[in-house]
Amino acid sequence: MNAPVPAFSTDASAGTSVVRVTTAAPCARLSLRARGELGPLEAALGLDLPRRIGARAEVGETEVLCLGPDEWMLRGPEAVAPTIRAACDEVYKTHPMSLVDVSGREVTFVIEGTSAAELLTLGCPRDIDRLAVGEGRRTVFDGATVVLWRDATDRFRMDVWHSFAPHVFDLLATGCRELAAEAA
Amino acid sequence: MSQYRVSGRGRVDTGKPVSFTFDGKRYTGAAGDTVASALLAHGVHLMGRSFKYHRPRGPVAAGSEEPNALIGTRRGPGRFEPNTRATVQELREGLEATSQNKYPSLKWDIGAVNDAAYMLFSAGFYYKTFMWPKNFWHKVYEPFIRAAAGLGVAPCEEDPDHYASRYLHCDVLIVGAGPSGLAAARAAAVDGLKVVLVDENAEAGGTLLSEPQATIDGQPAWDWLASELEALKAAGVKIMTRTTAIGYYHQNMIGLCERLTDHLTDVPADTPRERMWRVRAGQVVLAQGALEKPLVFHGNDRPGVMLAGSAQTFLNRYGVLVGKRPVVLTSHDSAWYAAFDLADAGAKVQAIVDLRDHVHVDLLTEAQRRGITAKLGYTASATSGRLRVSSIRVNPVKGGDVGTAERIECDAVLMSGGWTPSLHLFSHTKGTLAWDDDLTTFLPGKTPEDCVIAGASRGPWGIAAALNDGAEKGAAVAAALGKSASGKTFAVEADRTGSGITVKELPTDRSPGKAKAFVDYQNDVTAKDLRLAVREGMRSIEHVKRYTTNGMATDQGKMSNINGLNIASDALGKAQPKVGLTTFRPPYTPTSFGAFAGYHRGEHFEVTRKTQIDSWAEENGAVFEPVGQWRRAWYFPQAGEDMDAAVGRECRAVRETLGMFDASTLGKIEVVGPDAVEFMNRMYTNPWTKLALGRCRYGLLCGDDGYIRDDGVIGRLGQDLFHVTTTTGGAARVMNMMEDYLQTEWPDLNVWLTSTTEQWSTIALNGPNAAKLLAPLVEGIELTDEAFPHMSCLECTVAGMPARLFRVSFTGEIGFEVNVPAPMGRKLWEKLWEAGQQYGITAYGTETMHVLRAEKGYIIVGQDTDGTVTPYDAGMGWAVGKSKPDFVGKRGMARPDLVAEGRKQLVGLLTEDRSKLEEGAQIVFDADQPVPMKMVGHVTSAYHSDAVGQPIALALVEGGQGRMGETVHIPMPDRTIAATITSTVFVDPENTRLKI
Repeated sequence: MNAPVPAFSTDASAGTSVVRVTTAAPCARLSLRARGELGPLEAALGLDLPRRIGARAEVGETEVLCLGPDEWMLRGPEAVAPTIRAACDEVYKTHPMSLVDVSGREVTFVIEGTSAAELLTLGCPRDIDRLAVGEGRRTVFDGATVVLWRDATDRFRMDVWHSFAPHVFDLLATGCRELAAEAA
Repeated sequence: MSQYRVSGRGRVDTGKPVSFTFDGKRYTGAAGDTVASALLAHGVHLMGRSFKYHRPRGPVAAGSEEPNALIGTRRGPGRFEPNTRATVQELREGLEATSQNKYPSLKWDIGAVNDAAYMLFSAGFYYKTFMWPKNFWHKVYEPFIRAAAGLGVAPCEEDPDHYASRYLHCDVLIVGAGPSGLAAARAAAVDGLKVVLVDENAEAGGTLLSEPQATIDGQPAWDWLASELEALKAAGVKIMTRTTAIGYYHQNMIGLCERLTDHLTDVPADTPRERMWRVRAGQVVLAQGALEKPLVFHGNDRPGVMLAGSAQTFLNRYGVLVGKRPVVLTSHDSAWYAAFDLADAGAKVQAIVDLRDHVHVDLLTEAQRRGITAKLGYTASATSGRLRVSSIRVNPVKGGDVGTAERIECDAVLMSGGWTPSLHLFSHTKGTLAWDDDLTTFLPGKTPEDCVIAGASRGPWGIAAALNDGAEKGAAVAAALGKSASGKTFAVEADRTGSGITVKELPTDRSPGKAKAFVDYQNDVTAKDLRLAVREGMRSIEHVKRYTTNGMATDQGKMSNINGLNIASDALGKAQPKVGLTTFRPPYTPTSFGAFAGYHRGEHFEVTRKTQIDSWAEENGAVFEPVGQWRRAWYFPQAGEDMDAAVGRECRAVRETLGMFDASTLGKIEVVGPDAVEFMNRMYTNPWTKLALGRCRYGLLCGDDGYIRDDGVIGRLGQDLFHVTTTTGGAARVMNMMEDYLQTEWPDLNVWLTSTTEQWSTIALNGPNAAKLLAPLVEGIELTDEAFPHMSCLECTVAGMPARLFRVSFTGEIGFEVNVPAPMGRKLWEKLWEAGQQYGITAYGTETMHVLRAEKGYIIVGQDTDGTVTPYDAGMGWAVGKSKPDFVGKRGMARPDLVAEGRKQLVGLLTEDRSKLEEGAQIVFDADQPVPMKMVGHVTSAYHSDAVGQPIALALVEGGQGRMGETVHIPMPDRTIAATITSTVFVDPENTRLKI
């Protein structure tokens, strides 16, 4: 407990020829919960909320991922948070919802390379092959809850709560070396 | 070439010699050898001593089922493994192998005295021998048994290797790459199905590696194998060798242990030694084949006595003759072919001794053609030879009578008692077994999993039968996955089909009571032990197993279970299925702890959650303590301070001027929605409707049983917005409990919960100067009692950062909690630290926090409560909204035993001798009563307290709240301490210190 725990910096990165892990720049993250008639909320937000769990949508630089039957994760540049907040406040009276700023809660790792999907199998019990490009999932990695975004066949983003990030990153870095040795 | 190596046989590469040592002696083997095959090539059969009797032992098998040839392997410091099967460990340059369980040497072993005294060591000997005198057990018997028993020595150095794990998803997993597994893979690999084929051996092929004489579809078996493996790879089948399916878990989750480096001369960097695969398969085909059974007769464990099929494997796969003058002893046709193969490789087979009176004429013809004597209707009654078999004693059996013995000189005995289908993994699925009278064995019945059995593990015998059954089953699982597939039919020549009979221990003309006829080689269990167990009253096979330890060794009874069952059922006079079979449990073969631990060792053992301010604490010398998964600063010792001194100084700083504390680990939940207040009313014991905007309240959470589960301060930041805090350890549990109620009981409520524990860094400021420090940094509110009274909250700006500011106190001093977005936490901490220097600001840890709150009588859930304490027991009836129609725990609190008199209630204690009590110490009312005394409660918290001037304690005491001022007693090992019951509030009961 009192042994120094390896320091984790917000720009941690690791990588080999087959897969790299980098830390994404901070962004706005908003957890949106709503149910019932979503039309007015979508109109106010100026975007369509995907209805299928795991599906994503994008408007400008704002991305939405459906995480549950009444749950979405919105992310975008830090400046968009007040705009989204204002849009939600506008329709709250008639169409109540919960919009909680969680920008400070988590960090995002970008995982890319030919072995990116294989790297995820070190800690994620889900079938990574069945996570389609352009979709996302809330799942676990090495015991920590994470949200995975698959942006390309060999590129993922992984959102991790801050306090779990060093542990998760440590395994990702170990895996980068292991996969490089395997490819050699 | 080594003496027993046969030129032109086997798959080893004698052109690539590999040097290794066994018990310090240097040997040379060939690339592709195992330790066992390399030693056998030098004529070395003696490889170990047995578990109980220290009898000399050599390999009896050629594969993972080997019970005898267990060795230690070593490659430099820390890389030592005991109990490795010599038949599995592949040779590598420089391998150091050692025998086990011997002293002073393998050939001269003192422990072998046990063998002479074998009558003392019969079944259940522990229970009979070591009963009396009672106090001898701990001092004499147990240490002796522990030292004498066991095989290898546990490693004591840290293992420098690393271990890995992965998840794997596939449509079809096939376990076993013998003929049935290969054919199943080919048939199932259609239409994009993801097929994985695993085998525990170094190369795929199974039986085909030991039967090169066969031709499949016109190709010699090994050529067919090579082209088939290429074809499977081309079809996208993932083939994994050196990979053991160790366990079959729920819903087609199979554990695979892959060995990656043990066979390599040099360990490559960043390559794990072993990898655990957790496979989720749509369909599973178990094609694990069958294991040969030994015959049970006196001296069947002497080095040189081994399974006939294994001798065939050593010859055909490794090019090693296990003996030059072998005798074959069998009840099954398969051993005849072993005799023929060895004879064709130059061995002089002394005789084929068959227990049956009749065998197929073709076998007799083939034996005759090779000049081998066949003895039909014979039994074996003994072997002789000290460290290696030198002769076997056989007798004719006619109508149950055992005739005159004759002795046959030999250097090996190749035995076969028939074959047992390997049903270990099938058994893990809770699959039922069906007894087959013809085969005298259990066959797979029904399983709840999506799993089929192919090949010899469900009965069919011979290469053609295995291939065709595999193809059929492969097509069947593909069809089950919605694909159209058809299994082809294979044409096999020189196939060796055959049959046999099953026997119990062999008839003998000598006293069966003195026979050392081994059933379980690894645990040294004999036929006599099993019969004794039945005589002594064991009726169920489960009891027989535990009494004798038959099948309880690391080989999981692979060889002994069916022989043991046959003998027990004979002794009981019942049919085998009535006696039953013991359950096989994972892992299938011994598996290293490293493979199970995977990456979770050292610093990666478990998640250590740290706050954003943790790094400051580390830089400033904090001592940490674990709280759930978090590590928290415990106290901040300065030079020369011990814990008491540091905590004393930190406490004084808070009471006299100013302290700061990292409270970021507190759980936080954002409750939002039009029904937020209704949800809070139902969830917490307190009423919330009248809580004004910008105010906060201490909330108490109970389970439906009425007992306290959690607590925390809750602020109302909007009409429909509550900022809930929970205990550090309870955060996830409380969130789950709330979601559970919301989703299952109250789905009608329009309210949502979001975990914001890690959204905020939380810094607590406490002490007379807290407001003075904070006031200049806060924008948007004046920090006065009028503008921002105690128990207020507000969204504002602190030191230029967006913040949620709470005025609360768990110390009794003026207190604030500043929440800022988590990544800003350390910046704010440093600003406050700097600005607080003028007030002598002091960083404090969890220990000081505990003291300060105890001085005020504030409970710690989980310390002062133990899951059986109601709000009333804790003296917090004021927190229960009695007029609310309902809330979680309301009905529970009304239960008769929860409202009864004399419940244990939380009180304060002050000791008369001013000593600090021990947390957990028991309390009695009368110190003079006889032992055992009636215990009426226990100490829950105890601390030194400078503020009080003597140590304080909180305690749960029967009817304690009605006993103020009374004396109770705390008996300790050295004395009994008297203490006075007091209020729980030790400091400033009027809360005057909270005013700014």
